[in-house]
Amino acid sequence: MSKTVDSEGRFHRDTDWQPGVFFGVLALVLLIGVAVLFGRFWIAGIFQKAFDRVPTQGTVHVFQFDYAYEPRHITWRVGDRVTIALRNMSDTHWHEMVIGRGYDTVPSAFGAIATQFKTDFWDGVPVRISNAHHVDNLVLNKARATFVGSKPNLATGGDFSPTLQPGGSINLTFTVPNKPGEWQYGCFVQQYMHYVAGMNGTITILPAK
Amino acid sequence: MGDILAFTLVWILVSALGEIGIQSLIHHGVYYYTATTQALDGEAAFAFIITVLTPVFAFIVVMIGYDMIRFRSREPGMRPSPRQFYNNKVFVSIWILVSIALNLLFFVHPTASAVEQMFNSEKERYNRHDLIINVTARQWQWLFDYPQYNITQAQDANGNSILYLPVDRTVRFVLRSYDPMHMYDPYAGVIHSFWIPAFGVKQDIIPGETRYMYVHTNKVTSYNVDPMVRVQCAEVCGPGHPFMEAPVHVVSNVDFMNWIKQQQKLQAGQS
Amino acid sequence: MSSVVSDMHGARSEHARVKRMLPPVVRGLLWALIGFLVMNTLVSEVFDRMPYHPFITRASVTLGWVAAVGGWILGVGAWEGAVKPYLGYPEEWVVPQDWRKYFMYSTDHKVIGLQYIFSSLGGFLIAGFAAMLMRLELMKGQMWIFNNPGAYLSTVGVHGTVMMFSVGTVALVGGFGNYFIPLMIGANSTSFPRMSGVSQWLVPAGIATVVISPVLGQWTTGWRGYEPLAGQDPAGILFYYLGVFALTTSSLLVAINLTATILFKRAPGLTWNRIPMYAWGILAVSLLNLIWLPEIQMTFVMALLNAVIPLPYFAQIGSPLTYMEMFWLFGHPEVYIIVVPAFALWQEILPVMGQKSLFARQWGIIGLVFVMILSGLVWAHHMFTNMRNSQMLPFSFFTEMISIPTGFAYLVSLGTMWRANLKLNTPTLYTLMSMFNFLIGGVTGVLLADPVVNLQVHDSFFVVAHFHYTVIGAMVFSWFAAFFYWFPKLSGRMYNEFWGKVGAIWVFIAFNMTFGQFFFLGLHGMNRWVPVYPSYLEPMNFEVSLFAFLLGLGFVFNFLHIAWMWNKGPVAKDNPWQAKTLEWQTASPPGEQNFDPIPKVISGFYDYRDQRLPIRNSPQKEPTS
Ligand code: HEM
Ligand SMILES: [Cu+2]
Ligand SMILES: [Cu+2]
Ligand SMILES: [Cu+2]
Repeated sequence: MSKTVDSEGRFHRDTDWQPGVFFGVLALVLLIGVAVLFGRFWIAGIFQKAFDRVPTQGTVHVFQFDYAYEPRHITWRVGDRVTIALRNMSDTHWHEMVIGRGYDTVPSAFGAIATQFKTDFWDGVPVRISNAHHVDNLVLNKARATFVGSKPNLATGGDFSPTLQPGGSINLTFTVPNKPGEWQYGCFVQQYMHYVAGMNGTITILPAK
Repeated sequence: MGDILAFTLVWILVSALGEIGIQSLIHHGVYYYTATTQALDGEAAFAFIITVLTPVFAFIVVMIGYDMIRFRSREPGMRPSPRQFYNNKVFVSIWILVSIALNLLFFVHPTASAVEQMFNSEKERYNRHDLIINVTARQWQWLFDYPQYNITQAQDANGNSILYLPVDRTVRFVLRSYDPMHMYDPYAGVIHSFWIPAFGVKQDIIPGETRYMYVHTNKVTSYNVDPMVRVQCAEVCGPGHPFMEAPVHVVSNVDFMNWIKQQQKLQAGQS
Repeated sequence: MSSVVSDMHGARSEHARVKRMLPPVVRGLLWALIGFLVMNTLVSEVFDRMPYHPFITRASVTLGWVAAVGGWILGVGAWEGAVKPYLGYPEEWVVPQDWRKYFMYSTDHKVIGLQYIFSSLGGFLIAGFAAMLMRLELMKGQMWIFNNPGAYLSTVGVHGTVMMFSVGTVALVGGFGNYFIPLMIGANSTSFPRMSGVSQWLVPAGIATVVISPVLGQWTTGWRGYEPLAGQDPAGILFYYLGVFALTTSSLLVAINLTATILFKRAPGLTWNRIPMYAWGILAVSLLNLIWLPEIQMTFVMALLNAVIPLPYFAQIGSPLTYMEMFWLFGHPEVYIIVVPAFALWQEILPVMGQKSLFARQWGIIGLVFVMILSGLVWAHHMFTNMRNSQMLPFSFFTEMISIPTGFAYLVSLGTMWRANLKLNTPTLYTLMSMFNFLIGGVTGVLLADPVVNLQVHDSFFVVAHFHYTVIGAMVFSWFAAFFYWFPKLSGRMYNEFWGKVGAIWVFIAFNMTFGQFFFLGLHGMNRWVPVYPSYLEPMNFEVSLFAFLLGLGFVFNFLHIAWMWNKGPVAKDNPWQAKTLEWQTASPPGEQNFDPIPKVISGFYDYRDQRLPIRNSPQKEPTS
C-alpha cells in the first residue's frame, strides 16, 4: 500500500463509483430505518406469532425498563411449573407487575384512566416467592404465598403486585392455574402513568394437554 | 416631502385603527379569564405594552407596505434608483432615541413597577392571614395539604387531588417536588411547574428547593365555570406530564369552611 | 484535480483490472456498521459485561456510536481525503465531475455548501414531517395518532432538535455561508477545505442519530434534553446528546473555517470597511458559535455521563437547575445564531432589488455586532419561572435592550427601500415577509421580557408561537429569500416568477394563520408538550392543524418549484439582478475556480449611484458547462 499510483501514473482504485449500488443501498437503509422507527413493535409481534407458539417452561426472565417490559409476550401451558424472574433494570424508577384482565378506571379531565386490572390472575394461586431483593412493596391480595429467604415489605390494596426498586428482583414460582386464554400484564405505578406510557404485555395461557 | 406626508397620514390612520382593534381585544380580556389580582396586574402590563407598541408596529408595517407599493419598479429590467442617499442623520437619530426611550419606559413601567407589586404582595406585613397550602408535585400527581387545618392530600370522591380556595384571601402556595411515597429515590424528583391559567402566574418547582407562589383570589369560580381554573403542570416532566392536572374551586368563606370540615371528616374516617 | 479526471476516463476502459470502489456513502454506512458492532460487542460482552444485560447497553451504545461515526466519516472519504494525505501518502481521491460529487467527501467549498444545503433540507423535511404528525395528534384532545404520550414527546423532541441544530444553525451558515462567503470576499477556497469536507458529513450522521433515538427508548425532554428529567428518561436521550454533539461539532468546525476565511482570505482591496453585510453576519454568528458551542458540548458531556453511569449531578441531591442555566447560556445565543444571518440577508438583498445604496450601513453592522454581544447577557429570561427573584430585573433589562440593536436591521432595511426602485420579485417578497414576521416575533418578545407577563405565558403555546415567528417567520422565510435570490447563481437558471410568488404568498398566509392562532391558544391555557388537553381547546386546535397542513404543503410546493426550475428553468444571465457584490462578478454557476484571476476591489459593494463595477480587471468569464 505504500504506493497508490502505479508506474504509468494511474490510480489503483477506480473512484468512478456506480450510481445503482448507491441508490439501492440508500433506499434499503432508509426503508430499514423507517421500519425500525415506526414498525418495530408490529414486526416484533409478527415474529412472536410465527415462532413463539411453544409454551415457555421453567424460568422466564421478565425485565422492566422505563417504560416497557422485555419480553412483551409470554406463552404458558396450564399445569406447567414456571418461574417469573422479575428484574427491574431501571436505574431510576420503581416498577410493578400486575397480571389480569379488564380494567378498573377513574374519571379524569382527559377521560377514564385505567388504575388496575379488574380480574386478578393471582386470585387463589399458590405462589412461592424467593430471591426478593430491593422490593419496594409486595401486595398479595388473594394469592396464597409462601416465602423462601427474606420476606419483602408487604402492603395492602389492589391486585397482587410486586413493586421493585431500581435494580430490584423477585422470583415467583407457581404452577400455571387452570385459567386459559389471553391475559395482560402491566405496571400502574406513578399515578397509573406507566401503563399509559406503554408499560404492558400479554400472556397466552394454553389449555392443559 | 410629499412621500413623508403621505406616509405619515397613512401611518396615523393605521395606528388609530390598530388602537381601536387592540383596545377592543383588551376589553375582551387578553388573558381570556382571570380570577386573581395577580392575573389582573399581568393583564394590565400586557395591555399597556401592546397599546404603546401598536403605533410602532404600524410604523414598520406601513413603511414596508408603502415602500412596496409606492417605490416598486415598473420596468422589466433592473435600473438604479434615480434617488440615492446613504444616511439621514435626523431619521437615524430619532429612531435610536425613540427605541432607547421606549425600552427605558417599558423597563420602568410595566416591568419594574409590576415586579415591585408582585414582590410586595409577598411581604410579611401584608400576609398576616394567608391561607397556606403545601403543594407537592410528584410524578405525576399534585398533592395539596392544608397544614392550618390538618388536611393532607385533599381529595374528591374519586380519590383525585382537588384544590379548594376561599375567595378574597391571599394564598401562599409552598411548592416542593419530591415523591413522599418513595423517599429513597433521588431521581424521582424532576422539575414541574405549578400553573393555574386563570390565576395569571406560574412557578416552577425544583427538586431539593422550596419555592413560594402568592395569589389573591378575587372571584368565586371553579373548573366547571371556566376550565382555565385548573392546576396544570407546565414544565414537561415525563410521559405523564399532560395528565398532571387538578380542578380548582374558589368558593365563599362559608363554603370553604364546610369543605374543610368535610375533608377533615373524610380523613378521620380514613385513619 | 479536474485534469486527473479526464485522464482517468480515458484509462478506465483499457485497465479493467482497476478495482471499482464502492460508492463512498455506501462504504461509510458499511464501516459505520462494522465500527458499531465491533465496539458495542467489545463493551457489552467483554469489558463491561453484566449479568442479564441486553446486547446493547447504555455504555456500549454510546461507545459504539462513537466508532460508527468514525467509520462513517472515514468511509465517505476522510480516509483517503484527509487521513492518508496527513500521514504522507499521495492523495488518491478523485471526485467525478457530475452529480456524484455531492455524495462523497469533497474539498470544494461550493460542493460542501450545497451538501450542507441538502443536509439541512433533509433535516427540514424530516422534522417537518414530525411536526405534521404532532399537529395531526393535536386535532383531538385525546390520544389517537400516537399510542402513548412518550411517543408524542419523542416526536416533539426530534422535531425541535433536528430543526434547531440541523436547519436553524446550519442552513444559512454551513449551507449558504460555505457556498457564498468565499465568493463574496473574492477567494477561491475556504481556509481549511479538508476540515470543511469532513465536517459536513457529521450533519447527516447527527440527524440520523436523533431521528432513530426513539428506538432506544422514548425520551420526553424536548429539544433542551433538560436535566433532571433527562437523568431518568429512557435510553433514547443518549442519542439526543450524541446526535446533537455531532451536529454542534459540525457547526463549530464551520465557524472556525469561515472565521479564518473572512479574516485571512479576502481579495486585495477588500478592506474591513468593504466587507459585505452577509460576511459580517456570518462573522458575528461564527464568533457566537466559537464561544458558545464548546460550552454546550461540555454540558452535554456531563449530561451524557449523568445518564450512562448514572451520576446524580442534576438530581435533587445534585444541582437541578444547573443544566438549565448552562443550556440557556448557550440557548439564547443560539437563537441569534439562527436569526443574525437572516438580518444580514435583508441588508444584502434589499439594496440590490431596490437598486439603491445601502442606508446607514454602519448602523447595520453595529446592530449585528451588538446583538451578538448582548445575546450572552439575556439567557435567564428563559428562566423567569424558576430563577431567584433577584435575577428578574437585570435579565429583563438586557432583554428589552437587545431590541435596540435588533431594530437597526429594520432601520437599515427600511431606509434602503425608501425611494428605491424596488423590484417586487420573489426574493424581495420573502424578505419583506421575513421582516413582517420577525416584527411580530419581536413585539411578542417584548411582552415575554416582562417578568409578570412571562409568568403567565411561559411554557404555553404563546411561547411556541413566539419562537416559531422568529425561526420560521424570520429565518426560514429569509432562507427562501436566499434560495430565490441566489437561484441563478447556484443553478445558472431562473426560477418562475409567477410560481415563486404564489409559493411565497401561500406559505405566508398559512404560516400566519397557523402560528398567529398559537398565541391565542397559549393565552387560553394551552400548555406545551401535551398530546392530550382539555376539550375546550379542541375546536381551535383542530382548525390550526388544518392551516399547519396547508403550510407543510406550501413548503413542499416551494421545494418542488426549486427542484424543477433547477433542472428545467431558462438559462439565466451571470448577473441578472445587476448586483455589485463579488459573487455576482463571475460566471453563474461559478467554474471550478471562482475567480481567475482574483479580482482587486476598488470600492464598496453597496453604492448604486452609478453602474461602475466595484472591482478592477473583471475576471475572465468561464463558459458555463
Ligand atoms: C413546518 C411547520 C412547523 C409546525 C407546524 C411546527 C409545529 C410545532 C409544534 C406543534 C410544536 C410543539 C409545541 C409544544 O408542545 O411544545 C413545535 C415545537 C418546536 N418547534 Fe416547530 N413547527 C414547525 C416548524 C419549525 C421550524 C422550522 C423550527 C426551527 C427551525 C421549529 C422549531 C421548534 C422547536 C425548537 C420546538 C420546541 C420543541 C421542544 O419543545 O422541545 N419548528 N413545533
Ligand atoms: Cu413501571
Ligand atoms: Cu409535572
Ligand atoms: Cu409536567
